[in-house]
Amino acid sequence: MNRFLAILERDLRKFIRNPLVVAMSLLMPIIYLVILGNSFQGELKRLPVAVVDLDNGPYSRKAASLLHAVSAGPGTLEITRVADQGFAIEGLKEGVFKAVIVIPNGFSRDVLRRNLSEVGLYLDNAETISAMTVRASVTSALAELKNEFVSIREERAATRVRDMELYRKIDYDQTLIPGVVIMAIFLGAMTTGAFNMVMDKFLGVEESYFLTPLSKTDIVIGLIASGLLITTTLALIVLFLASLISGLFFWDGLSVAAFGIMLAVIILSTLGLQGLMFIIMGRVNHPRIVGVLGGFLNVILFFPSGAIYPIESFPGWLKVFAFVNPETYSVHAMRALLFKGAGLEAVQGDIAYLLVFAVCSVLLGMALFKRSL
Amino acid sequence: MLAIETVDLVKEYGSLRALSGVSLSVPEGEFFGLLGPNGAGKTTLIRILTTLLRPTSGTARVMGHDASKESGLVRALIGVVPQAMTSDLDLTGYETMDIYARFYGMRRRERGERIDELLEMVGLKDRAKDLVATYSGGMRRRLEIARGLVHKPAVLILDEPTIGLDPQSRHVVWELLESFRKADSLTILLTTHYMEEAESLCDRVAIIDYGKIAALDTVPGLKKQIPQKDSIELGISGVDMERAVDWAKSVPGITNASYRESSLLVSSDHGAEAIPALVDGLKSLGARVSRVVLKEQTLEDVFIHFTGRPIRDEEAKKVSFLLGAGVPAKWGK
Repeated sequence: MNRFLAILERDLRKFIRNPLVVAMSLLMPIIYLVILGNSFQGELKRLPVAVVDLDNGPYSRKAASLLHAVSAGPGTLEITRVADQGFAIEGLKEGVFKAVIVIPNGFSRDVLRRNLSEVGLYLDNAETISAMTVRASVTSALAELKNEFVSIREERAATRVRDMELYRKIDYDQTLIPGVVIMAIFLGAMTTGAFNMVMDKFLGVEESYFLTPLSKTDIVIGLIASGLLITTTLALIVLFLASLISGLFFWDGLSVAAFGIMLAVIILSTLGLQGLMFIIMGRVNHPRIVGVLGGFLNVILFFPSGAIYPIESFPGWLKVFAFVNPETYSVHAMRALLFKGAGLEAVQGDIAYLLVFAVCSVLLGMALFKRSL
Repeated sequence: MLAIETVDLVKEYGSLRALSGVSLSVPEGEFFGLLGPNGAGKTTLIRILTTLLRPTSGTARVMGHDASKESGLVRALIGVVPQAMTSDLDLTGYETMDIYARFYGMRRRERGERIDELLEMVGLKDRAKDLVATYSGGMRRRLEIARGLVHKPAVLILDEPTIGLDPQSRHVVWELLESFRKADSLTILLTTHYMEEAESLCDRVAIIDYGKIAALDTVPGLKKQIPQKDSIELGISGVDMERAVDWAKSVPGITNASYRESSLLVSSDHGAEAIPALVDGLKSLGARVSRVVLKEQTLEDVFIHFTGRPIRDEEAKKVSFLLGAGVPAKWGK
């Protein structure tokens, strides 16, 4: 009993003696939140669009003012009037504009005669996301140009859609919180527990541990316990900091019971990943391999977890991967708890999966651990 | 009771025989040395005794317990100082000792007293709160010796404890081992290839080569077993060299004599005692003795006698290139 606690104490002491590791373990997920939350924003803003009015009639002026309203209101577009079409297209090619809208000569006449009136939209479709946004924004702006005409070759929606948000307003960077917490857990699991075993092997220190009465279970449980303690603490600090930074104060919206469930999700996710690391790194004897594996595992666990992109849009093979990936369940559970005010019923499936995964991976990791040189 | 006993110990790695039938008996309280060239099987033998390896056949017993069948018991009875430095750099000296003491289930108070006592003895008390990373090689080794003794083991096993240390640190380690042995009536098994170390510390020495014991005795006993004796070289003049050689051969205690230019070369079992008689006798023959050089037989002569001069073919270490040991040599060509 006392023995695994000695290993636990050893690891905790070694961890706090490396403040840079502590700092980076906290900083990395937070930086991720700040950079990703601000660069990869949910809604795009200030996309430069050139408007070339070749008609110069009443309806073309109205169309232009509707577009200006978009730039003044939601700010999705930034409209520049350009007299020469060739010059505007040149600007599009050079990346000055994301799109060029050409209102052709005779546009007002077509609108009045209720002919099919068309506006030309040149898109920089090398940037898919901004092209999609510009098209949607221009279409909806011009739809308001009375019913007399059909805008840019697209059928006007017969029914208007009014957004009814199910949960309280959530910003994009706030939706990243579960992902950031799971990233903190992953980094913690990567740099504690099994990693200490790899370092002991690399430094040749393990021999002296094997010479003592420590059993295989003492060693593995001690390493996992220290990793669990460190990683859970890191994850909670990251959750707190991410809350502060993104302005989603979880302590306002989360009941004590829900926070307890959240803690259980964090602990089970950590245990599962700790066990997984023991399975993967059981025979690794060089920290460089851990570095390479770290990047690799982060990509294959984090991105398919649904933390930044919905799983439903994945191709089939990736969905299968997401289905077995424990991080998927952690992210799902944390999202439900943080944003949807869900209780145990909503996340019990996630918890069950995480529990089974944790037990299996820890037992397998323990079985694979080799208590000999 | 025998502290260490091995019977026909064999260890094979594939086709390579690291140990081929080693039988040893070390009584309690003895300081036993294991001498041998690199790759002779010393570390394999130590690793079997310390439960890290299982022998292919034969038995190894420590304080009456089988090292492979009762490994838990054996581990609690032995203290080991491995060849490589194995202390964690980012712990302090005291923490290292305390954590190890807990592996043996020692109580807090008992630990505190024992650790203070040991750190005092190895001269690290003032540095107990410093990180091991700040220690010199000699200090680290002393800490590891203290660590090996923290649970008051019955047997202390050291694998080349002074390798890579400067002469000062080496002497400190020797003094420590002597004092621990007296204080705790400890059985000590030590491997080394420093002859001086074996000669000054060990009650008995086994010379091991090619996985077998080539010789086993006290140091004086081993010296008697080999033909090379002390040799004396006398620079003489004013006498016929042939005549001096004939005369020298007749002196009691001299086993052989010859000459080279103006040097008379004499072999003797006890070189130092033979010198006065030789010098007096040569003077009475009318010779002038200009210099005397005595070369005493050393354990190194014994070692070379039993192990020969050629460097051993050592087994290539098994490493997995997949796990970071680089590509196999044949790919590098």
